[in-house]
Amino acid sequence: MKKAIYLIIALLIVVQFIPAYLPEVSYDNPKDMLTNNPNITDDVKMILKNSCYNCHSNETNYPWYARVIPISFLVSHDIKDGREELNFSHWENYKKIEKAGILDDISGSVSNGEMPKKIYTLIHRNASLSDAEKKIIVNWADEFAESLFE
Amino acid sequence: MKNLLVVFAISALSLLILSFTGTNNQTIATNPGNDVSFEIPDDVQAIINNSCYVCHSDESSSTTSKMKLNFDKLPEMKVGKQVGKLIKISNAVKEGAMPKENFIEKYPDKKLSIEDSNKLTSWAEELANKLGGE
Repeated sequence: MKKAIYLIIALLIVVQFIPAYLPEVSYDNPKDMLTNNPNITDDVKMILKNSCYNCHSNETNYPWYARVIPISFLVSHDIKDGREELNFSHWENYKKIEKAGILDDISGSVSNGEMPKKIYTLIHRNASLSDAEKKIIVNWADEFAESLFE
Repeated sequence: MKNLLVVFAISALSLLILSFTGTNNQTIATNPGNDVSFEIPDDVQAIINNSCYVCHSDESSSTTSKMKLNFDKLPEMKVGKQVGKLIKISNAVKEGAMPKENFIEKYPDKKLSIEDSNKLTSWAEELANKLGGE
């Protein structure tokens, strides 16, 4: 039994020498939503940056343990999925009708507590949203969607 | 001299008319969708009634499904919401995420045929584009 535990630990150490693949980080995103929509208010901006941008933009802030195998597999998978679903860094590439769909997704998933994901807020405690913050995001998303068609 | 005056008057008048029609066009362009009504043709309505309505209508007992999409409320929603819902309907049907698998297992007759799913998605996309003014 003891031997088996040592073996697993040894294996985990060896495996760390394989470079962990994590989706790339970029802070230079000319199509970013916040950069291109300066009228988005500071409270909304703060919440988006704090609770959404880590998975839904290119500005991912990886903690040190995100590079540790096998945690890196989970992180890499989730970030890839998150960016595919919605990437605020590519906002201006979306068609207007797609933006409306995404904003309805944001509004719905934040109001029913689906987003931010439980597994994420469990570790990133300060990313979880209070009821007041949820309301700010839902109102903003709904209004922003209407403003696209005015 | 008189001829020149006439030419001048005509060109001024046409410029004036042109500028009016110009602004007119612009107002239409900045207010897309305002004159487009939310319409569901009968054949599409039949598909919705058969395959979507059980969960996504006033009659649904599932609050979650109803919150996400309620076909009875859709016509009264604001244009931004309508467009958003329509594009999501199209995406969900295209991806095969809707109607849900466990629902189809229970009610196999509610499964969308390829023809019906095409009809539904093209309706949703076309209306989204029309409402969005594109």
